[in-house]
Amino acid sequence: MGSIFRGAERNVWTFRPDDVSERLKPIVKRERRKLASGALITFCLNIMSALVALLTSYYAYKANRFVSSSVLWAISIGFMLLGIGLVIDAGTSLISGRTLVDITGRTAGESFSDRVLTLLASLTYLTLQMVAYLIIGVGYLRSTYGRQSSAAAPAAVVGATLVSLYSFSILSYFVTVILLAFVVFQGLLLRSGHAGKLSGMVLLAFVLIFAAHCVLLVSVLVLGSGLFLIGTAVQFLGFLSLLIFVLRSEVVGPG
Amino acid sequence: MAQGEKQRSVLRINLDILNAVRDEGEAKPTHILYKANLSHERLVKYLDDLTAKGLIEMKQEGENRTYSLTPKGVSFLIEMRHAESFIQGFGLAI
Repeated sequence: MGSIFRGAERNVWTFRPDDVSERLKPIVKRERRKLASGALITFCLNIMSALVALLTSYYAYKANRFVSSSVLWAISIGFMLLGIGLVIDAGTSLISGRTLVDITGRTAGESFSDRVLTLLASLTYLTLQMVAYLIIGVGYLRSTYGRQSSAAAPAAVVGATLVSLYSFSILSYFVTVILLAFVVFQGLLLRSGHAGKLSGMVLLAFVLIFAAHCVLLVSVLVLGSGLFLIGTAVQFLGFLSLLIFVLRSEVVGPG
Repeated sequence: MAQGEKQRSVLRINLDILNAVRDEGEAKPTHILYKANLSHERLVKYLDDLTAKGLIEMKQEGENRTYSLTPKGVSFLIEMRHAESFIQGFGLAI
């Protein structure tokens, strides 16, 4: 292929598609490596958080066999959904090499079927997460104020699935932040009534998960990969606090 | 029961009885009655239930009756201890 500028003969400036792809290769490689390392960190943090969520769900299920409580039922179901959602998100990060923010922000260099699968997986994760916190929130609500339930929230879930993943992820994180703020508030109310030795750790876990989702919401709004990783790390710290609580509750006993 | 105090659940009462039996080793009904804060009629009903479930066993020596935990009762108490700790962590009570 010939050059498009006269100065090409003197090697001043040339434009060849092959040259461009050659020049871009290291940049693309670097970008891909950056995306992959972010996705790998997200995978590790999310898979560990998922294990803690599933462990918490199991302990809540075990405790609910002795005490039939709507809150314990909600905690068991909610954390199980959360665990499944986190496993799906971790799997998506590992397979696609992208985090949720990268998926919503960048589209190039991915086949249609891969993109559809990634979108579906992310949509499933966000929905499961939202429903999980909704169930935990309603469980706490029933425990504090009797048998009242919120009909508006399921409608929000149905409505949210109709919009795009980007809008949905913003909406999902926004709703999750609101639900978590509610869970923290209810947790504070319940803690003032029956404060066990370890109840502070559960509250700390919910506060950290709430803070993480505030960061995640901002990261989705500004499409910041760094912020998304920080949010995921803070969420992991929340689950770590929950893990310490679950392990210590086995040793310490009621207070 | 003191005025204003919430009514204890059946599980809470059973736990109070089991804890009283565990503390004594071989507990006389009067000691359990005192520790679990129950009337005699209600105590007899709960003791019969716990014996039927195999969580405690009764020993009769002449006039004296004593109750002790069975292995099933011991493991139940351990499991309940963990469950109660977990439940309290979420700001709940049995």
